[in-house]
Amino acid sequence: MNQDEHSAHLEDHFLTRRQFLQRAGMGFGALSLAAMFGNELFAPAANAMEAEATLLPKAPPLPAKAKHVVHIFAQGAPSHVDTWDPKPALSKMDGQEIPGQNGVAMGSPFKFEKKGKSGIEVSEVFPQMGELVDDLCVVRSMYTDIPAHEVATVMMNTGSRLVRPSVGSWVLYGLGTENQNMPGFISLRPGGAPPGGTANWQSAFLPGIYQGVSINTKVPTLNMLIENIRNPVTPLPEQRRQLDLVHKLNEIHSQNLQKDAQLESRLEAYEMAFRMQTEATDAFDLNKEPQSMREMYGRSAQGNQMLIARRLIERGVRFVQVWAGGWDHHQDLEEKLPDRAKDIDQPLAAFIKDLKQRGLFDETLIVWGGEFGRKPTRDRNGGDNPGRDHNSKAFTTVLAGGGVRGGMTYGKTDDFGAASIENKVHVHDLHATILALLGFDHKKLTYRYNGRDFRLTETSGEIVKAVFA
Amino acid sequence: MKNVLPLMLLVALGWGRAVAADLTPAQTDFFEKKIRPVLADNCYKCHSTQAEKVKGGLLLDSRDGLLKGGDTGVAIVPGNPEASLLIKAVRYTDPDLQMPKNKKLDDDQIADLVAWVKMGAPDPRVAMVAQSKWDDNKTNHWAWQPVKHVTVPQVSNPNWCRTPMDNFILAKLDEKDLKPSAPADKRTLIRRATFDLIGLPPTPEEVQDFVSDTSPDAFAKVVDRLLASPHYGERWGRHWLDVARYSDTKGQPRRNTEDNLNPFAWTYRDYVIRSFNEDKPYNQFIMEQIAADRLASWKRDPTNLTALGFLTVGDHFMGMQNDILNDRIDVVTKGFLALTVTCARCHDHKFDPIPQKDYYSLRGIFDSCVEPKNEPVIAKVTATEAYRGYYQQRELLTTEADNLEASLPGFRKSGDLDAFKEARRTLQQKEHAIAELDLNNPGSPERAMVLEDAAKGHDSPLFIRGEAGNRGEIVPRRFLQILSAPNRPVYTNGSGRLELALGIASKNNPLTARVMINRIWEHHFGAGFVPTPDDFGMMSDPPSHPELLDYLAMNFMTNGWSIKKIHRLIMLSSVYQESSESNPRYVQIDPGNRLLWRANIRRLEYEPLRDSLLAIGGMLDTNIYGKPVDLRKQPDNTRRTIYDFVDRANIDDVLINFDFATPDMVTGARHQTTVPQQALFLMNSPMVIQVARRLVATPDFVATEDDAERLNFLYERIYQRPPSPEETSLGLEFVGETPLPGEVLPLAANNDGGKKFNQKNNQAFPGYIMKNRAPLTSWEEYAQALLQANETSFVN
Repeated sequence: MNQDEHSAHLEDHFLTRRQFLQRAGMGFGALSLAAMFGNELFAPAANAMEAEATLLPKAPPLPAKAKHVVHIFAQGAPSHVDTWDPKPALSKMDGQEIPGQNGVAMGSPFKFEKKGKSGIEVSEVFPQMGELVDDLCVVRSMYTDIPAHEVATVMMNTGSRLVRPSVGSWVLYGLGTENQNMPGFISLRPGGAPPGGTANWQSAFLPGIYQGVSINTKVPTLNMLIENIRNPVTPLPEQRRQLDLVHKLNEIHSQNLQKDAQLESRLEAYEMAFRMQTEATDAFDLNKEPQSMREMYGRSAQGNQMLIARRLIERGVRFVQVWAGGWDHHQDLEEKLPDRAKDIDQPLAAFIKDLKQRGLFDETLIVWGGEFGRKPTRDRNGGDNPGRDHNSKAFTTVLAGGGVRGGMTYGKTDDFGAASIENKVHVHDLHATILALLGFDHKKLTYRYNGRDFRLTETSGEIVKAVFA
Repeated sequence: MKNVLPLMLLVALGWGRAVAADLTPAQTDFFEKKIRPVLADNCYKCHSTQAEKVKGGLLLDSRDGLLKGGDTGVAIVPGNPEASLLIKAVRYTDPDLQMPKNKKLDDDQIADLVAWVKMGAPDPRVAMVAQSKWDDNKTNHWAWQPVKHVTVPQVSNPNWCRTPMDNFILAKLDEKDLKPSAPADKRTLIRRATFDLIGLPPTPEEVQDFVSDTSPDAFAKVVDRLLASPHYGERWGRHWLDVARYSDTKGQPRRNTEDNLNPFAWTYRDYVIRSFNEDKPYNQFIMEQIAADRLASWKRDPTNLTALGFLTVGDHFMGMQNDILNDRIDVVTKGFLALTVTCARCHDHKFDPIPQKDYYSLRGIFDSCVEPKNEPVIAKVTATEAYRGYYQQRELLTTEADNLEASLPGFRKSGDLDAFKEARRTLQQKEHAIAELDLNNPGSPERAMVLEDAAKGHDSPLFIRGEAGNRGEIVPRRFLQILSAPNRPVYTNGSGRLELALGIASKNNPLTARVMINRIWEHHFGAGFVPTPDDFGMMSDPPSHPELLDYLAMNFMTNGWSIKKIHRLIMLSSVYQESSESNPRYVQIDPGNRLLWRANIRRLEYEPLRDSLLAIGGMLDTNIYGKPVDLRKQPDNTRRTIYDFVDRANIDDVLINFDFATPDMVTGARHQTTVPQQALFLMNSPMVIQVARRLVATPDFVATEDDAERLNFLYERIYQRPPSPEETSLGLEFVGETPLPGEVLPLAANNDGGKKFNQKNNQAFPGYIMKNRAPLTSWEEYAQALLQANETSFVN
């Protein structure tokens, strides 16, 4: 037995990470060893099967039109025929049976008006968004599988009813993120949990590093946003001194063992954590915004969320999910729907204008929409103040920014808006399109789990190229 | 977009040749596209095996049924539409024979049926009944072969081998001309063994005893002591709970009819811990978790019924029964057999020889079971004050809930939506109150989350493409084809769960023992022989040491399926006792260390990390068993982490950040990610700060005046070793400096928006947390630095 062969001299073969970074003139967190030398040598034995998970930015395999995604989720299923998909035929039939629809027609109580150069008709409930219609791509032919909120909400975010990674997790897995001081996928919610809960931002079988960080934007203090983001007793300069000691202890420990990738990568994690304490909370600190900006977005829950979303995008966060729900109008639609529209109209319009003035609009794909649409008929439960029931066969999703052509509509529903009939876009197709705009072939962005290559779009998905700018 | 026809695929994959012989792909295509949908949509309601009442004795959901016909005669004459009653009926030409009754089919549909009968009524459903042809490549896979008696190989250095196990390891190393690393030193070894078996660090006294014990069986004594510890079950029980997708909540309860809480999930968790502690034979462990209610033993010990939680602690998928059954099939087949049977829900398994029918054989078993609304009480109930109080409250709530439930249809009928919603909301509140009472009331007796056989077992139809509305042939309940002899018996004993359990817990099953040995090995070495512990199928990597896997599996079965004996066998080997020293040349030859030329460095999961921090701080509550504690609500509770309340749909962030096994699926191997939130936990969490303070407040530490000795104390407590001279000087330097002054980062208010600004939540740190806001002393900071450093989180 040759004991000499077991001395700890791995560094003879490879520079230590620190040496390498020093020689290359880079700071911590710039690159990881595994990224430089390939995964095999440095993958921890326990996960020899699994490529090392990393958040470092990666170039997509295909030309990309967008770098970030902001998905504003209008949970509850907004009525398309009252917002983005005008149906004069429905208004004409108001109060009469619609053949084949098993119900009484309910014309929209809201006026539609041609807006912008494109002349796209937008409902009066979206006055500010209407002004921006030349920047919007209104996809009027969406459809999904099941008209139940939980199932369809999770479906919209994961492409499945089963336990699958969310769109944001796939994007993070594919692209990494640009700011190593911040989580790359952040989900903002104004209190409570949406139907489906964490399933909507889960990484499922993708490594946990790709999980969305869910942030309740209604919590009153910054330190409650990210667990343990604040040290209650140790000032930063002293914590720096302590952390330097930790690194020295780790150096000794590591020399006594071997330069193991899992030990090395922790240095990076600690440095990022240290920086997150100031950087991450800063991103959420709206007090740092000028008053004029606060007014532009509106001082409201959604105004705050959209402003935070902009601060996150500015900082290189890859995927932001914004929950802006409350659209389940089975009754009192005429009274209640405008309130929900008002919640998001000004914040979203401000967000678009703000991204434009900052030069971020073209690289940020904005998606607004719900999990399904609503029926053209009166909900039988609505009584004298009617609303509409669920409809998985037709709804509208609005796209803007990164690589999307503004001032266009895509697809059609039938005369009453009961079902999408022309250029239909399934949820899988929307996902394929989002990935395409980010530079991926959705069929090739796969992850092997339990011996099978999984992908976001399962076995379907057609890219809607017509919406590309 | 569901255009992939399962049968086409079968043909393409070549393991449904019987189909190919009968039908051309075009014929199959025609049937699937034009005929089956028409029959299913218009006829199955009255003419299928699933019909509530079969009309006219006619079944149209199988070819046999079609040819046999009904009371009025044969339905079709292949090749002769004019002579076929079915065609006559759909044409509506005979006023006495018009089908479907309510509405004539479209002309196109009728024309299709006519064309189909004319071409001879090619019906792939007959082929589904035929035995699929087995592809040798699929049946030869190593994992389906019987566990073999293997001979212990000759090796280059017999002296290294303490156990026959070592011969297998060394033989593989010899092939590559690699040598095992030197033995680990005693401190490393006892730390490794203690974390491995009980998930806690050894105490300084235990280390000292072992170091000074020079007898040859010193380490065996350590292993035996640890195996006898009641904390052993907490460590290994948690590994099993990962497999069992354990949760104290349902995740997605049935709407309106049940609460999210699983108030008695913990009785299953305790069953698992107890089973490991008692070294329950693994075959019995399997039997009980699948069919405890069908075994005589529960009558002697009703707590055995808690074993059935294995089946019932899964998600309830908003009451979607097919998904619940799928989850049970999944946990049984992945958990015990490492087979991905649920891949065969919609089509034959793409890679493994698991036909879709196998899935529905198992579906029939679980569909023949029911969860009783009230779980049976398993503890002896005495009429204590507490129990009486509980009982009265529960009766009251149950009555109220029953009344509310009964009122719902009335409200719905009358169209009084507000009253309906109000009643439903109140009902949900009552259900939650009952669940809370069951969980928290001290008088609430223990119950078991059982599954029971329905009055009569029934077989399940196959769902074509997995669609519940698209029913194919009826599939008998029986065991998986690949694990059975040619003439599989059909299950007849109740639901068939007992027979299924016997099929799994069998020495003849090639997978059962191997799968468990692989799981045990993984938790000792960081990776299993097969790196995918829940999938031994054709897509998995072959085992690194197939002979050793069989040697251990055989040993396991012949030694009464004793898990503790396997631990002992493994831990007393030379390979287990290797050091983790690296070797640059070996790293290039075997980078993943699959051949085990050294010990792997392993990171502690969150549970042993938190538990050991508390133990180091002298704060750990070592009570075993009992109701869950919600550590989010009680952050100052110091029970072991396995007793934390697991909320499936709302997993604690800290668990997520540390790669906890999410209870949505079987998790034999956790992910291992390194994210900054883990660092934040060690840097900033009040618990870690508290541990540091407690260490420095220990009387022994306070009584020690010499700084070097103080360092020694901290090293022994945290790392179970004395510091090196380099570490001592580093430490002395650090504690010699005065902490830098400065303000802690402010806890600024986030935003002024949102209507429900909750003042109650407006506290800097929830719970206990920072009653003591004094800055840390240099020593406290130093202690915390040691806790943050890698050595705390890693076992080598």
